[in-house]
Amino acid sequence: MLQYAFQRVLLALAIIFVAISALYTIMITLPGDPTTILLGPRATPELRAAFRANMGLDDPVLVQIVNFWGRILGGDMGTDYNRNRPVAEAVFNALPHTMALVFCAIFWSAALGIMLGAFSADNRNSWLDRISGILSVGFIAAPSFVVALYSLLLFGVILRWFPTIGAGESGDLGSRLFHLALPSFAIGLAWVGYIARIVRAAMLETLGENYIRTARAFGLPRRMVIYQYALRVAILPAVQVLGVGIGGMLSSAVFAEIVFSRPGIGSLIYESVSGRNYPVVMGAMLVAIGFFVTCALIADLVNAALDPRQRVT
Amino acid sequence: MSNQKTFSFVPDPTRRQVFAGAAALSAAAMFPIAAWADGSRLNVRTYLEPDDYDPLDASGFLEELLYGCIYRKLIQYVPGQEWDWQLDLAESMTQSSPTTITFTLKEGQMWSDGFGEITAEDVKFSMDRHMVEANNSRIKPDLGPFSHVEVTGRYAGIIHMDRPFAPIWTIALPYLAGTVICKAAVEAAGGKITTAVPPAVCGPYRVVEHRLGERWVLERNPDFSGAPAAFERVDLIVVVDESAAEIAKDAGDVDFTSIGAGSVQRLRDNPPIGAQMNVHPALFYHWVGLNIQNPKFEDIRVRQAIMYAIDVPSILQAAFFDVAEASTGIIAPGLIGHRPATLIPPQADFARARALLDAAGIDRLALNVDVLNNVTHTTTAQVMQAMMAQAGIDLNITVHESGSFWSLGVAADGDRWKDLELTIKRFSMTPDPYYATAWFVSDQIGDWNWEQFSNAEFDQLHDAALSEGDPARRDEMYRHMQDLMEQSGGYRFLTHGVTANLFADSIVPATRPDGQPLLQFFRRA
Repeated sequence: MLQYAFQRVLLALAIIFVAISALYTIMITLPGDPTTILLGPRATPELRAAFRANMGLDDPVLVQIVNFWGRILGGDMGTDYNRNRPVAEAVFNALPHTMALVFCAIFWSAALGIMLGAFSADNRNSWLDRISGILSVGFIAAPSFVVALYSLLLFGVILRWFPTIGAGESGDLGSRLFHLALPSFAIGLAWVGYIARIVRAAMLETLGENYIRTARAFGLPRRMVIYQYALRVAILPAVQVLGVGIGGMLSSAVFAEIVFSRPGIGSLIYESVSGRNYPVVMGAMLVAIGFFVTCALIADLVNAALDPRQRVT
Repeated sequence: MSNQKTFSFVPDPTRRQVFAGAAALSAAAMFPIAAWADGSRLNVRTYLEPDDYDPLDASGFLEELLYGCIYRKLIQYVPGQEWDWQLDLAESMTQSSPTTITFTLKEGQMWSDGFGEITAEDVKFSMDRHMVEANNSRIKPDLGPFSHVEVTGRYAGIIHMDRPFAPIWTIALPYLAGTVICKAAVEAAGGKITTAVPPAVCGPYRVVEHRLGERWVLERNPDFSGAPAAFERVDLIVVVDESAAEIAKDAGDVDFTSIGAGSVQRLRDNPPIGAQMNVHPALFYHWVGLNIQNPKFEDIRVRQAIMYAIDVPSILQAAFFDVAEASTGIIAPGLIGHRPATLIPPQADFARARALLDAAGIDRLALNVDVLNNVTHTTTAQVMQAMMAQAGIDLNITVHESGSFWSLGVAADGDRWKDLELTIKRFSMTPDPYYATAWFVSDQIGDWNWEQFSNAEFDQLHDAALSEGDPARRDEMYRHMQDLMEQSGGYRFLTHGVTANLFADSIVPATRPDGQPLLQFFRRA
């Protein structure tokens, strides 16, 4: 297991290195002079030239990439040229908001999806199962931006139950959670459907296993057999999917952060790419990719711990 | 059996629980979040974050919005319908000679955080630092031929210029470059303000918190020397999307926001409850530019044919929702240099366009227009495409994201600028005509002058108008400069657009004539 874990960690680092280096190359070869955009129209040509030199944009691409990794390994993400502050400050201010959004969405969608899936399996082929199936597929099919806009209009504008913008007051957990409600609903709804379908399928398979039949034969209560013995095994595929699904959630978070005007890695990347604020783009992407790769790595390791066959490479 | 299973999973509420639940839901619906909002708080939407608190790094109105709340200037714009300025920190301001302005500060104006009184030394420090090369001021050009400030007393000084500079009263002093910052505080901070909260402010509000990527939280500045600010707290909230901002206004999360032109007619037809809208002519200018140096346009008849084939009213109807007026040039109504009419009428004349192409020996002309990926300009391009086909011009539309688009005409970013054909652009503007004409002088070719318009008379007039003290003469010069632009066949002026603001009727907003908010003057209704 240790050898397997070591290999996966090495692979994760390689993925981060390749992804970031490729991204850097693409970014700086894109048309769009960052000095024109960053400094505004009134900047003099001399100022723009000095700025280019300061950013290292006159160096060859390879040199820039080496310099970038050199700075990163030295613990320096660079300077945010818009705000004249360290990139790390911008990125690590944004990261908790995105993580809160993603984990909140995962938490509620997993809870509801597992319940719905178990309920469907428990009532298979009944009209309740069919309704649950329709709901699940409907949730999967509904694009998150449509869900976001309609939930915004319904719960924010018409009913005024939830705030429509922002991330809540600093230091006020209640306000923070309150502001998470609509965005996490928007990006989590599709996952309810996914998880419900996965859990239902796994549950049906598990319910046919010998140990479940044995438990029933011993006269254990039905609820105990289903929700304690069968469900415990049936949710494993859902947990593995969720590990990888965090990447998808990060993509949805970009959209949710813009619609709900929330701070976060997604909106930071969007704003920085538009403004050609290269250091911030790279810092934010490094953290986002690192976050995604770490989640996938954890999913792999959990998978391997639960199923020894996975360790054979 | 089935029912039993269902009830094992679904809660089985008692009648009392059902009633309690229904009552709780009804109560929740009756208590909208907005009802909890405190009337002494003002939430204002901005579409992006201002950069920071240091005027050296300022580049536009976003910073001005923030600086207006926390800093002061010698003079400020007057809210209302006419462009004018009023005294702020200054007790008196006199143009003592064509190249000098004498000022005296009001006594007893204080900095926050114990930094003492505002003196002429602060004014000198604030303005002179823009001229120091190493400081890399982004707005140095706004100060034109400004030389230095001479301090003649604790509260008095003289602003020196190398030559007369008319825009000093309209741009330099009442806008970003005129912002006064605290010399002692900035020097103590190392010469530049890079902190999360500015070390000293003097405006009606102070910064309490900057939530990166989300909002600025401002509170009433207890050390402000004027009348206390109208609101205890002002939040500048970043909402990128205009539709999202409108929804936030409807939800009561924002008290003041600009809205898109597309919403104006709808809100006029169905006025929102508890809110008002005002619409102002903007200062921006939108135009279709033509790269005069492109070999396709060597013959001026071809350029003129293109101009005649663009129907401005149709564009205004489709892309600006019929709420904006056709412009006559790059200088908006109300400013010196505004032209009463264009040389070529805004309505297209397809027969004339066709005749000009025939005279140039062209049967069909295939062109490309580069546009930014916003709805307004892509719609403009589509209308042009449909209209120009009637004159025998086939228009291909190339859409770019902002970073790519704004480098199209920049020589430092490759050779694309040489091959440009048509572009649709919008430039921002300040209330002085010099700011508009500055981009079209010959020196700007390969930078912002994407039409590659080069005219010696225009360049000479641009320089001369800067120093011209007679407003009537200046007005005439700028009008003629726009005539020259239009005669080149490189420009089809579209509109200045509008600034539409939606705001809660619990506040009384204050805006410049172009509709941009002056938050420091906002008050409660």
